[in-house]
Amino acid sequence: MPLADPATLRWRGVGNAAASLVYAFLIAPSLIVIPLSFGTGRELVFPPRGFSLAFYAEYFHTSTWMMTTAQSLLVASCSTALACCLGFAAAYALIRCSFPGKRWVNVVLLSPVMVPAITVALGSYLYFSTIHLAPTPGLILAHAVHTTPFIMVTVMAGLRAVDSRLETAAIIMGAGWLTVLRRVILPLVRPALLAGAMFAFLISFDEVVIAYFVTDSATQTLPVKMYSSIQWEVSPVIAAISTLLTVLSLVVCVAGAGFAKPAAAG
Amino acid sequence: MASALLGPVMLIMALAFLVPLGFILAYSVWDNGFTVHAITGLLASGLFVRVLRASCGISLTATAVSLALGYVVALHLARQPPQRRALLMILVLVPFWMSILVKSFAFTIILGNNGVVNAILVSLFGPGARLSLMFNRIGVIVALSHNLVPYVVFPVLASLLAQDTNLRRAAQLMGAGPARIFWRITLPLSLPGVIAAGLMTTVISMGSFVIPSLMGGRQDTMLANLVDYYTREALDWNAAAAVSVILLLLSLVLLALLARVRGGETVI
Repeated sequence: MPLADPATLRWRGVGNAAASLVYAFLIAPSLIVIPLSFGTGRELVFPPRGFSLAFYAEYFHTSTWMMTTAQSLLVASCSTALACCLGFAAAYALIRCSFPGKRWVNVVLLSPVMVPAITVALGSYLYFSTIHLAPTPGLILAHAVHTTPFIMVTVMAGLRAVDSRLETAAIIMGAGWLTVLRRVILPLVRPALLAGAMFAFLISFDEVVIAYFVTDSATQTLPVKMYSSIQWEVSPVIAAISTLLTVLSLVVCVAGAGFAKPAAAG
Repeated sequence: MASALLGPVMLIMALAFLVPLGFILAYSVWDNGFTVHAITGLLASGLFVRVLRASCGISLTATAVSLALGYVVALHLARQPPQRRALLMILVLVPFWMSILVKSFAFTIILGNNGVVNAILVSLFGPGARLSLMFNRIGVIVALSHNLVPYVVFPVLASLLAQDTNLRRAAQLMGAGPARIFWRITLPLSLPGVIAAGLMTTVISMGSFVIPSLMGGRQDTMLANLVDYYTREALDWNAAAAVSVILLLLSLVLLALLARVRGGETVI
């Protein structure tokens, strides 16, 4: 580090002040939403007047909110499970094998993250209605494709840290591929796979655009219902749901980082 | 042999990703036979030109704002000891993982007519001080920049941390002040990270849908909202597909540039 002279200290002070303002800006939405969700009355004002759990009660007692939540849980669980299988297999092949065109395969497999969601949304909508695929399996498929790259990236990072000679040793000792997978590879990359799975779940659970295009009123997900609700009449229930979603993101963020760390360190 | 493991993922990818994109391409140039009507019609329509201009304006402004804010944070993080940096990083990761709907909802409470900012302004300067911060360009830029800052912090922080501290120390020993060290050493060396971040944020903001729809007014409709309009209200799927194709091409050009900046590394 450079030695601290008065000019350096002054600049550091300016930098700290500016950074604190940006941190405040970044965290402000979460800090606003949480107290708001414990307010009373129909008017959403900050700071809230009074304290109650009324908005949470309304959320848990409204059947449409519960149905859309169940739908989101179903879609996120199924698409994450599918994405884990696809992403793990792809990551293993890309790390342990070399074949012609590998770089391009890598680019194609990671591309769903980069393509604007609206193009995938419209394309899936036109395609699924042409082949008469029901909205729920369609959305699961679309979300699985959308989240597979996240699992691939985390698992590839995990696999890079695993010595491939461990697998060779297991094979020499007479283990079949299923045993190697179950007893050697999976235990070693489990943290990375779990971290990827949590991120994939959260991404699918929060995804609006594709779900908005693919689902109909009977199969809409929680974010789609939230989106139309914020658009037309902002009901205070949204504050309660937003708080719950923020807690979910926090859990995933902390747990995911916790899972990913040992893999990165090893 | 084990590359057969790629079979399932390639199959699903082809069926659920490449085919849908193919549908969009087909719809944009096919209407009972090959035609470029949808695309020429768009390029000649005032609506499309206005939306394209608004999209570019919003994206570039939000990119500039988020680069400035993100750089400040990245520089601050780079100068912290690792333990403290990991802790402060949470303040960047929370908004990164936060649902875009929650963000938009929070900003309607913060920026609305009776929102937090206006309440503070009114209590300080009287009722005349109320500002219109929502359903206009300001609301879109604020929410979009908030969304983009983490995408700037990650690459810029990486390039700042990769810098050799001896360079700064040497400059200081030669008599350079902190401002000069920043302009001549820190900033130029971090430019690849900044350019990568700028391209990334431009791609993300060009495709944004939720924020312009919830935070913006009529003048702030972006390309993705136009796709929605053609699909749901005008029921003109050819035009909707043509807008998507144009958005896709714009994104691909930017991503190709990004790949070049990153020197052939994979994009994420």
